[in-house]
Amino acid sequence: MTASSVILRSAARERSALPPGVGRRLLVRWAVNGIIATFALFPILWGLSSSLKPADRIMEFPPRLLPQTPTLEHYARVFGDGASGYILNSILVSGATVLATLGFGALAGYALARFDFRGRGTLMALTVAVMSIPVASLLVPTFTLLSAAGLIDTRLGLVLLYTAYQLPVVIWMLYGYFRTLPVEIENAARIDGCTPLATLRKVVLPLSKPGLVAAALFVLVFAWNDFVVAVTMTSSEATRTFPVAIYFYLGFYGREWGPLLAASIVSIVPIVAVFIALQRHFMSGLTGGGVKG
Amino acid sequence: MTGMSTVTFRKVAKRYGPVTALEALDLHVEAGEFVSLLGPSGSGKTTTLNLLAGLIDADEGTILIGDRDVTHLPPERRDLAMVFQNYALYPHLTVFENIAFPLESRKPVPDAREIRARVERVAETLGIGALMARYPKEISGGQQQRVALGRAMVRDPRVFLLDEPLSNLDARLRIRMRRDLKALHASLGSTIVYVTHDQSEAMTLSSRIAIFDKGRLQQLGTPAAIYDRPVNLFVANFVGDRETNVLAAEPVATDGRLAVRTAFGLVDLDRPASAVRGPASGPLRLGVRPEAMRLDPAGDAPAAVVLTELAGADLYVTLRAAGGEELVVRADPRDGVPAIGQGLTVRLDPARVHLFDAESGVAVSHGGSDGSSPNP
Repeated sequence: MTASSVILRSAARERSALPPGVGRRLLVRWAVNGIIATFALFPILWGLSSSLKPADRIMEFPPRLLPQTPTLEHYARVFGDGASGYILNSILVSGATVLATLGFGALAGYALARFDFRGRGTLMALTVAVMSIPVASLLVPTFTLLSAAGLIDTRLGLVLLYTAYQLPVVIWMLYGYFRTLPVEIENAARIDGCTPLATLRKVVLPLSKPGLVAAALFVLVFAWNDFVVAVTMTSSEATRTFPVAIYFYLGFYGREWGPLLAASIVSIVPIVAVFIALQRHFMSGLTGGGVKG
Repeated sequence: MTGMSTVTFRKVAKRYGPVTALEALDLHVEAGEFVSLLGPSGSGKTTTLNLLAGLIDADEGTILIGDRDVTHLPPERRDLAMVFQNYALYPHLTVFENIAFPLESRKPVPDAREIRARVERVAETLGIGALMARYPKEISGGQQQRVALGRAMVRDPRVFLLDEPLSNLDARLRIRMRRDLKALHASLGSTIVYVTHDQSEAMTLSSRIAIFDKGRLQQLGTPAAIYDRPVNLFVANFVGDRETNVLAAEPVATDGRLAVRTAFGLVDLDRPASAVRGPASGPLRLGVRPEAMRLDPAGDAPAAVVLTELAGADLYVTLRAAGGEELVVRADPRDGVPAIGQGLTVRLDPARVHLFDAESGVAVSHGGSDGSSPNP
């Protein structure tokens, strides 16, 4: 029996219990989801499989889907090369960037969302305009800027640059989220004795978890994955981030596919873990019940 | 109670571009008074409340709470409590934390034991003691309403602001909460400013009512004064369970006594002709409430019944005169329900008939024992 006939038969079974058309819709949905998942996941799964093959089997022809003799030698090599230090650098830089962008972004986004002040429209337009500047075009000027400030080849320098690049998007995202909150709740907090800052901290931010999580993940993915800025602004091993370290396996003497793939897989793990951990916060509905109507 | 305070508006105005939301408002609320701001939507009543709360900024004039000029103070420094139309509970906090919030947001913050005691006392008063650990979305609308009230009561604010707090409740619950609010006001003795578009709510709850229309305060007075002596047609129409009937009226001179001719016959107003104030030469309108008339099957029967509505205790009969003008009369259903098309005579109670200037709608003569001239 082929896989497709199994699906067809189970779809037929479902059709008997479900309203007409639902079985077919389920089948189509599974098929479409399957194609998309295969397309998205295949390179990663291929990388995972290859990272577990001995070095001389990675390029073998015809290629094998699964390693014949799985080995962790490449992973051992990666960590032997000091990966933990680079990973720590990445965690520090990404974490600090996320905190800084959310902190400044929440303050700016809240001001734009709720306060009427002179130049507000211009400021919002500027925030959006800045987003359209490609990072690559900023490399040279920001390199000069960073050297002048004495922050070249420091983790702090990277954090400042990442924050500057990502802040407009975060402001825009949080501005949009804050605007969806019912303003009466904030008015109530003000009348109950909160200053605007206390209102933000005690009422707005707790209600904005889904927005904050979305913005945090957006920044985290950028900061964790960034290669081009990090490779430009840092040179020493002490400040090297993980994506830059991975690049070094494409070395002088050829491509070391095994360690390269192993390191890539390692670099994916934390992001996936964070996404899974924060998954439930994507779901909103947190504001339900506070405001009637 | 230390909280009680007066509230004074002096020539306060608020404009949004070319639109005037509130025009030169003068209003004084005594300490401990329950004042309702009544009016249709867009009349300026909510603007007035938001100006007092500090949620919007006045363009002109001065607002005082007690002797303190609060015109440009932010809401958190005005020492108020407010109940919002949609309750505006903090969805991420439990009922206990919601009620404790105003205590924890102001310095000096009382210690945890004190907070617990005060929150529990308020919850006890409102009958929500069993809900302390629940979140707002887990309790019913009536309970949310009580939590919102509790959050306002837990401190001892100078003035309570209530913005249509009952409008989201069903009819029965609304009447019960009305009674509870009245009892609450009696026990707290605090100054309450209450916004509503429901005239019966304003009538039953208030010490005084301020009626707004088109950004202007129309009349400020006790419920009885507003009901008995409306200053203009708008107020006469807005207050009362049914609209006031308005008829074209032509003054008739009958040896010094005031009488008017209407489509429903000649009405002797039982007051001297001099009781009409102002330029009475122009056309007039007669205003009479459905409950200030009775039906009489005798007489010359100038009107025919076109509609009867039985509303439980009362029967509302719509009559049409030969000229097409209509009149709604409240009758007692125990006297029998008149047939459609039947001819009837209406007897108006002269003490409860008002005359208005047809052009401006301003009252020019009221009936009643205490004389005849409208409010000065």
